Amino acid sequence: MADQITDEQMFSGSEILLKSLIAEGVDTIFGYPGGQIMPTYDKLYDYQKELRHILVRHEQGAIHAAQGYARAKGIPGVVTVTSGPGATNVITGVADAMIDSTPVVVIAGQVATHLLGTDAFQETDVIGLTTPITKWSYQIRRVEDIQWAVARAFYIASTGRPGPVVLDFTATAQKGKAAFNYEKCNFIRSYHPYPEIEEKAVRKAAKMINEAKKPFLVFGQGIILSGAEKELQALVEKGEIPCASTLLGLSALPDGFPLYKGMVGMHGNIAPNVMTQECDLLIAVGMRFDDRVTGNTATYAIQARKIHIDIDESEFNKVIPVDLGVLGDAKAVLPMITELIEKKPREDWGLTSTICDAVEKHRVIDPEIHPESGEIHMGEVVDTLAEVSGKNALIVTDVGQNQMLGARYSRFNQTRSMITSGGLGTMGFGLPAAIGAKVGRPDRQVCCLVGDGGIQMVIQELGTIMQERTGVKIVLLNNNWLGNVRMWQELFYDQRYSSTRMINPDYSQIASAYGIRYRMVDKREELREAVEEMLSDDMPYILETHVLEEGMVFPMIPPGKNVNEIMLNNDDWFDYGE
Amino acid sequence: MENNEHLFVVSVYSENQVGLLGAIANAFTRRSLNIETLNVEPSEFEGVHRFTFKTRTTLDKVESIVKHIEKKVDVLKAFYYVDNEYLVKEHDILASYIDKHKR
Repeated sequence: MADQITDEQMFSGSEILLKSLIAEGVDTIFGYPGGQIMPTYDKLYDYQKELRHILVRHEQGAIHAAQGYARAKGIPGVVTVTSGPGATNVITGVADAMIDSTPVVVIAGQVATHLLGTDAFQETDVIGLTTPITKWSYQIRRVEDIQWAVARAFYIASTGRPGPVVLDFTATAQKGKAAFNYEKCNFIRSYHPYPEIEEKAVRKAAKMINEAKKPFLVFGQGIILSGAEKELQALVEKGEIPCASTLLGLSALPDGFPLYKGMVGMHGNIAPNVMTQECDLLIAVGMRFDDRVTGNTATYAIQARKIHIDIDESEFNKVIPVDLGVLGDAKAVLPMITELIEKKPREDWGLTSTICDAVEKHRVIDPEIHPESGEIHMGEVVDTLAEVSGKNALIVTDVGQNQMLGARYSRFNQTRSMITSGGLGTMGFGLPAAIGAKVGRPDRQVCCLVGDGGIQMVIQELGTIMQERTGVKIVLLNNNWLGNVRMWQELFYDQRYSSTRMINPDYSQIASAYGIRYRMVDKREELREAVEEMLSDDMPYILETHVLEEGMVFPMIPPGKNVNEIMLNNDDWFDYGE
Repeated sequence: MENNEHLFVVSVYSENQVGLLGAIANAFTRRSLNIETLNVEPSEFEGVHRFTFKTRTTLDKVESIVKHIEKKVDVLKAFYYVDNEYLVKEHDILASYIDKHKR
């Protein structure tokens, strides 16, 4: 066949890669050029109309931006970087994407094949480094393998439980010549992303739900990844099952949905954590029992029978032993269960959440978001943002107190509105992820909640915002501390504040250097008006808020405690009797 | 959960891809398990390789390892057996698997 193809029908490996990306529907790449990926960047010059390249300021920014893009849009984010340091600089984001099930495809340059294993300039063992933190990684050594590898990469990254894929793209393959005849991949014999659903398990799940007097459902990001928001609503409505979200499941159900009881976990709401310990049936959907959710695993929902619905079989019994695992895609499994469950009266345990909610509002929420005097609180800023944006903003957080308060006090009207680094807890995630989210969803108001620690880890990405005019709204919650670590030092390390005090630069000058509009607020009376001003158009904006320096995040289940052992403040614990 | 340690045999059937041994061995390393013996060879099925590990651990851990390994894209099937009771049904299971997922 090869001898029938004329020279005009032959393309370089670099061009084949770009044409393959276009065939997969890619129109945006986040990246940074360098030696061993230069042939591909050279070809990219010819494809600027089809492929928008966002030049970040550090490869870590590229991978986090691709993660934000993927999570906002629901399709894989694409990253191109060079070999050696380019590749190693994306490692954190690849690990983050793995643990948070985010579809990204990373294409890293690699030295020519004859130099592999010789410690050539900017050579590193990318496959060896990324194997444990990718869904699949592959070294493309021959030009003939490019289309096969790209097709597999997109299929693997985006199907089943999504995840990152790394392609280690040798200079030899980039410079070789081959014909282009792209075929999408939809079958790999050793990979079954959508397992057949066992009807027996579905019937058993429905039976367990029908037998339950106090069922309780906890859902995770699996609902969003599967697009099963409506199916989830239908199930809990028919069964009258109260439900709660994990950190990554937030925004799957709209604010005010009557059966929704809030967020579980360490800084979650009191009611769903207490209900976990009171239900007689726990239904977990698309979540993985993270230790920040379960607290002490030995006592977690010990009284309840448990059903775990997940697309990844290796999650069953990994952390919490369950009575029944239902393997499958939530979008397919949930309606099958809904059909079989009966509408029936449940034991009235609404009182549990009423009591818990009242205590939380009075003891925690009101003092945090409606303080009468003193400095601005972080939660107050988040609450104001939710109010002014009409609950329509897409919130991207960094990691730490900004994240926990962002999760607690943001309110969402639509799905895919909360992007945060959950499993890996990567500081520096927020700003670049917000850039990616805004690039992917220019129609949405994207707000980045970030602390003074996190923004400085990736502050160079303000350059990307400047160059691309990405309309990200940066809400900088400045407390001059690494706030979350400081809080733990106060609570658990005898107030020995080791290396957590931060001297900050003058952010107004930084904003001005990057040509980004800026405003500082340190007075409560100005907060609302400042947020309104920030959201009044679609241009980048930095709103620096000087917040209470020793702010805390409550309620809190201290690490290793049972999920109903909840601190309301430094001295008081939640007590039913109140 | 059972917490007694046994010597387990873990056998893994995979496509013939570079780097898979490392990927599979990682599942043991992450759980701080020693691999007592390791054998890699072509299986009786064309293009399919077999890895045989022996490791001393608990039932819970070996179950989680096997599920973890089977999740790898290029792994067809993974099994575990207590001590040497293995190889009994592997051939039949794999033959029907390959038959079912033919394209």
